Amino acid sequence: MTQTRPKDKGRKPAMRIPVATVALWVICAAWTILVIVPLLILFVYSFFSTEYFQTIYEPSLETWKGLFASGRWEVTLRTLRIALTVTLIELAIGFPFALWLAKGARSQMARAVFLALLTIPFFLDLSSRTIVWRAILGQNGLINTVLMSTGITDAPLDWLLYSEFSVHFGMIPALFPPMVLPIYMAIILIDDTLIEASNDLGATPAQTLWKVIVPLSLPGVMAGFVFTLGPALAAWVEPGMLGGGFVNLLSSSIESAYTALRYPVVAALSAFVIGLLLLILAVMALILRHLGGARLALRR
Amino acid sequence: MKDKHSTFDQIELTRRNMLRGMGAVAGTAALAATGLAPRGAMAQDMPVVRAYGVPTAALKDWSPLEASLGIKCELNGTSNDVGVFMRDIMASNLGDSTDIYIFESGTEDILGPRGMYAKIETDHPELTLWERTSDAWKRSPVVTDEEGNQWGVPVIGNADSFGYVPEAIGVDPESEEELSWSLMFEDEATRGRVAYGQGWSYSMPSAALYLKETGKADIANVSDMTAEEAAMVADFLIERKKAGQFRTLYGAFEEQIQLLTNKEVDVINCWEPAVREANNVLGENATRYAYTVEGYFKWGHGAYVAAPAMERDNVDNIYKMLNYFLGGEYRALQARDRGYAGPNMDLGVAYAEENGWSDAEIEALRATEAKVNRKFEKPFTSTTTPQNASDIEEQWQRFLNA
Repeated sequence: MTQTRPKDKGRKPAMRIPVATVALWVICAAWTILVIVPLLILFVYSFFSTEYFQTIYEPSLETWKGLFASGRWEVTLRTLRIALTVTLIELAIGFPFALWLAKGARSQMARAVFLALLTIPFFLDLSSRTIVWRAILGQNGLINTVLMSTGITDAPLDWLLYSEFSVHFGMIPALFPPMVLPIYMAIILIDDTLIEASNDLGATPAQTLWKVIVPLSLPGVMAGFVFTLGPALAAWVEPGMLGGGFVNLLSSSIESAYTALRYPVVAALSAFVIGLLLLILAVMALILRHLGGARLALRR
Repeated sequence: MKDKHSTFDQIELTRRNMLRGMGAVAGTAALAATGLAPRGAMAQDMPVVRAYGVPTAALKDWSPLEASLGIKCELNGTSNDVGVFMRDIMASNLGDSTDIYIFESGTEDILGPRGMYAKIETDHPELTLWERTSDAWKRSPVVTDEEGNQWGVPVIGNADSFGYVPEAIGVDPESEEELSWSLMFEDEATRGRVAYGQGWSYSMPSAALYLKETGKADIANVSDMTAEEAAMVADFLIERKKAGQFRTLYGAFEEQIQLLTNKEVDVINCWEPAVREANNVLGENATRYAYTVEGYFKWGHGAYVAAPAMERDNVDNIYKMLNYFLGGEYRALQARDRGYAGPNMDLGVAYAEENGWSDAEIEALRATEAKVNRKFEKPFTSTTTPQNASDIEEQWQRFLNA
């Protein structure tokens, strides 16, 4: 026999259920109208084509065929590969930094300074921050000048600029704050007594890290992952300024199509990316479930 | 991003307008306080012609126009992206608030027949310079469509080639000999020292021109290639890319200047103002803009009248403005400030002489006219809106992705 808990006494469940149901339906309806319908239209649009700057509203597979014939699907995969690489590099250097900042930096001043340094870049134009690297990485740039003047190399290193290396190099500092800040926020909320308890029970630092800190910081890690991967997929400034046209990514491919008013190509590329993103999110959800992160993310 | 041919960008334009506007407000307030408000009010009462297009066509200072014609021109700038320009006009009812559009050739072929542009009334009384303007300018593909309909009035034009560092490629800095586009595409001496534009509509035709004029490919119209022709050009470019010919593919006007000034490359298919800017840093003739063997990316800007504007009561002022583009004052100021030519260059020289310009400035105007005349002898005209744009863009992507 089910017993009503004392704290439920006096409530009016009949009033709560309809409100929750209505809210759910409103959210679902809004989500459908604002997200699902545009995506469906986008997908449908990808089956049209463009001729002399006009969209031809006759369903065909021409745009999708062109996507593969022109190598645009390779652009999508390249974009995905670079975005994931950058995100994983950010995670590898961002997690230890966030851990140190949250639990290692004992000085409040140091913590405040580093947090300020992490947020200041948001107020500076990304192009201005990126273009500086060209003067440093170029054939006549600072690094090559030093390398050649010290006799380390005889000729300038071409690959420092206008390469996948330089694109990664430019994206890493730009996307460091979006990775670090959510992880920092998650770790700083971990109660120190849990860490102390782990140590008191004989756990090594590595065990404490792996069994206490990492699981509890997973919501922050996942947020950092998403906040970094998203901008990395849409990166335009760094590939444009540091890739030298040899690292053609999704943003420039879409821009090129747009100059010819090829909306179906833009739609097809977008649909392709959305499909890949859904795949990544599914994989992430599986990993999270394996690590118990889903439960953590939803905990009260 | 700066527009393709300008030496200043839209932000600067906006900033200047804002400062000018703030100055005007402050000035009006001061004049009102001293009892001179009517004079300020006169300037405010000037009829206005509202334009939308690339800021390249703007004068750096519109006050000579206001003094000469008693009208004001308010130009809302856009980038040189034809997709953005056409979307704005077709989807935003821009004609309801805009009198004239100023853009590079090509859009008149599409937007004219679709009713966005009004045909030019060549016998309009305010268009007094029409008859004396040469057919080479006023009947060019920049302002007419294939059926010969007159959709615009020519504003400025130039013939683009490539900038180069004379010292690096072993050419006398004073020389005006014609150089081959092979320096750009397949010269061993320049391999790995070339910057090539990243936009398909600007770079693809130059490669096609080189292949056609050197007999390496059979291409009917380099500015509007068929899918097969574009594929041939893309194959050539892919081969050259893999051979390491290009150091970089640039995207913006600022990059052109930077690549030349920091000597990252020796050859670049840039716009002429980039060479001027580079020489401002490096010294006279440190970089040169090439006369070429095979030809040029010839382009022109036209002024087109928004169809709804013909229903308003500002038509006479619009035609005064169109006529101004053909006149000596506009011609002289544009050539002096940007190095661009246009119709009736002789009127520009006459204006400079009448207004006490220095001998050097007048000589520079004559040199600009001679330069453009020489370059325009080559048989090639660009368009921003080729009929096969989709195919060309697709093949360009193949090159970028290779």
